Amino acid sequence: MAEAKRAPAPRRVSEVRRRRKIVGRLWSLLFLSVPILGVAVFVLAAGDIWPLQKHWLPVNINEHGRVIDNLFMFILYLTGAIFVGTGLVLPWFLWRYDAAANRDPIKYSHGSHTLEVVWSILPAATLLFIAIYQMNAWADAKMRRPMEPGPDAVLGTEDDVKQPPLARVTGRQFEWRIQYAGPDRKLGTRDDLYGVDDLFTVNELHVPVDEEVVIQIESEDVLHSFFLPNMRIKQDVVPGMKQFVWFKANRQGVFDIVCAELCGWGHYKMRGRLVVESRQDFDEWMAQEFKKQEAVLYSTSVGE
Amino acid sequence: MSFPDWARVKRPMFMIGLLCFAGGCSQEPTFRLNNVYLYVQEAKFGEQGSYNAYKNELQSILVSLFGTPDEPKVPPLPDVDTAALLDLDELQVAAGPVRLDEQKRARGLYREHCAHCHGVSGDGAGPTASFLNPYPRDFRKGVFKFKSTPKGEKPTHADLHRTLMEGIPGTAMPSFRLLDQPDRDALINYVMYLSIRGEVERKLMEELGELDAGEKLIRTESPEDFAEDVAYIKEIAAGIVSRWIDAPSRVTEITRGPTQWDITTSRYESEEARLAAIEHGRRLFYGEIANCVKCHGESALGDGQTNDYDDWAKDFIPPNVTPAQVQELSDKYTALGALPPRNIRPRNLRRGVFRGGRRPIDIYWRVRNGIDGSPMPAALMKPDGAPPEAKGLTEEDLWALVTYVRNLEFEAVSRPPEHLVENERLRP
Repeated sequence: MAEAKRAPAPRRVSEVRRRRKIVGRLWSLLFLSVPILGVAVFVLAAGDIWPLQKHWLPVNINEHGRVIDNLFMFILYLTGAIFVGTGLVLPWFLWRYDAAANRDPIKYSHGSHTLEVVWSILPAATLLFIAIYQMNAWADAKMRRPMEPGPDAVLGTEDDVKQPPLARVTGRQFEWRIQYAGPDRKLGTRDDLYGVDDLFTVNELHVPVDEEVVIQIESEDVLHSFFLPNMRIKQDVVPGMKQFVWFKANRQGVFDIVCAELCGWGHYKMRGRLVVESRQDFDEWMAQEFKKQEAVLYSTSVGE
Repeated sequence: MSFPDWARVKRPMFMIGLLCFAGGCSQEPTFRLNNVYLYVQEAKFGEQGSYNAYKNELQSILVSLFGTPDEPKVPPLPDVDTAALLDLDELQVAAGPVRLDEQKRARGLYREHCAHCHGVSGDGAGPTASFLNPYPRDFRKGVFKFKSTPKGEKPTHADLHRTLMEGIPGTAMPSFRLLDQPDRDALINYVMYLSIRGEVERKLMEELGELDAGEKLIRTESPEDFAEDVAYIKEIAAGIVSRWIDAPSRVTEITRGPTQWDITTSRYESEEARLAAIEHGRRLFYGEIANCVKCHGESALGDGQTNDYDDWAKDFIPPNVTPAQVQELSDKYTALGALPPRNIRPRNLRRGVFRGGRRPIDIYWRVRNGIDGSPMPAALMKPDGAPPEAKGLTEEDLWALVTYVRNLEFEAVSRPPEHLVENERLRP
C-alpha cells in the first residue's frame, strides 16, 4: 500500500510568536537606523569626512551672512534635537511594546490634560520665538538697504539716501547680463561730457571687497533666481520687477553665481562668476574694460 | 499564491531585455543631408528628373571628405593648407558624444553646448530651434552676420570667438565665457568645419544642374574620369577653405576714430563735438545716401519695412512672390526640414540692444560692411580723392552715424517706463 500522504504538522503557537517577534525586532532596528543615518549625514558633511566632503555650507564671505548662518544653525540644532528625540522614541516603542514580545496587560488611558497643554504650548512658543528672532535678519537682508550720506554729508541723519546700485544684473535664458552704473552711479545714463558711461559685461560680476555693494536684479524673460551661495543671498528675479540685494564681502576670490529657479532647459548652465577684489583692482578692471568697450581702433595685429 | 510559470514569463522578459539593450546603443548620429537645398535645386534645374537618386552619392562623397559626426575628417585639398585652418585634434574635442577623456576633460563639446539649437549637422534645426526667435544660425550656408570682414567674406576666428564670449543679446545665443579658452577654440574650429562641410554640400548640389540625366557626380566608367571628377570636387572644397584662410587678411582695419575723439579716455573731447556728431549722424540717417530710415523707420524702431526675408529663408522664397505662394513654398520646405520662414525685422535702434556688439567698432563694421545674410547693405563709400559732391559716405560720416545710433537709446522717447519698485520701503 502506498504511503499515505502526510499532512503537514500544525505549527506550534510558540514558533509563530517567535517569528513574529523577529520581524518586530527587525522593524524596530530599521526605524532606529533613521536617526542614526540622519545624524551621520550631518556629522560627515559638517566634519568634511568621506564620502560627504564639501557637502556642508559653502564658506560665507558676507558680513551680513553671519546672522543668516546663525539662524540656520539655531534652527538646525532645534529641529535636530527633536528629530533625534522622536527618532529614538519611535523604535524604542516598537521594541518595548511589540505585541509579540510584550506580555504586559494593556492599559487604557483617556489622555493627560497636562501633557496636552505642554505639547501645545511648547511648540507654539518655539515657533513664536523663531518668528520674532528672524524678523530683524529678514529686514536687514531684504528691506534695510544700505544708506549713504545725503546732501548734508553726514551719515545717520534725515537727509541720508539709499545707496545706488553698483550694477544691474539681468537674468535671461541662460546667462546673467551685467551693466555697471559707471562714474555717475546711475544706470542707463550718460555723463554730460561722455557718450555711454555704463559698462556692459556678461556672466562675470566684479565687486570691491570690504564695501557695501548694492546690486539691482531684473529679468528679461522668465523667472530666475539670483543666488550667491557664498553671500547667503538668494533673490527671485521676477519679470517686470526691480529688486535689490546687498552684501559686504570680507574676502577676495572667485565665487559662483547660479540660477536657483528652474527657468528652462538650459537652467543648469546659467552660471556666472563673482570676482571679489580690492577697490584698486576693481577700479583698474572697470577702467580697462571700459576702454575695451569704447575702443574705436581695430587692427588684426593688435586684435583680441 | 504561486509564482507564474517561467515559460510564460520568459518571452516578455526577453523583449524587455532586448529593448533595454537597443536603447543602450542608439544609432550613431549622421550628418543630415541638406534636403531643402537639394529640392530647391531640383525645382530650379531638375529637368533630368528627381534628385532623390543623388542622395546616396552626395552622402558618400561628403562622408569620404569630411567623415561623420563621431569621426570628423580634415580632407587634404590641393593648394590650400586645410590642416592649418581645421585642427583635427580640436575637432575631435568638439565632435562625438558627450564624454570625459582619460584626463577627465570634457569632450563632445558641440553636442553638449550647441547641438540642441544648432543641430548635429549645424543646420540650425536642433530640437529647441523651432521655439526660438530668431532661429539659431544654420552654419551650412557659410554666412555669418557679426564679423569684422566686408560683406561676402568669411568671419575670422576672433569674430566667432567674440560671439562665443559675449553671446548675442536680443537672441537666445548665450555667452560661453565660463568655458576654458581651449574649449572655445575647439568649438570655433568645429563650427568652421560644419560650415565648410555644409557649403561644399551646397556647391555639390548646385553642380547637379550641370549633369545629364543618369550621370553621376563622380563617374566611375574609367579611372581618368574618376580622377578628374574627384579633383574637381576637391577644387570646389579648396575654394571654400581658402576663403576661410584668407579671412584675417580681409578684416576692415580701423586706423582712425572720429575726429575730436580722445583715445586715452575713449570719449569725445567736448560735448559740442559729440552733439555735432549726433546732429550730423541724424542728417545722414534720414538722408538719401545712407538712407537708414528706409528700413529702420522714421522712428528708428525698426518699422521701415518688415516684410523681407533673410538669405536663409530666401533660399526657398524667391523675391516678389505673393503671400499665397509663400505659404505654399513654406509648406513644401518645412515638410523637408526647413523651419517656417519668418520675416526679418530691421533692428529697433532705440532699445540699446546690439546683437553684433555695442562697441563703437562693432557698430562701425555693421554700418560700413553691412550684415551678411540680411538685407542690411554695406555703406556706399566715397572713393579716395573724390570731389566733395561725389555720392558716398566718408569715414567721418560713418563715425557720425555710429555716434548717432549709439545715442538713440538715451533719447527721452526711448526710455521705457520705470519698473514698480517692490522690495524697497520708505525709511521709518
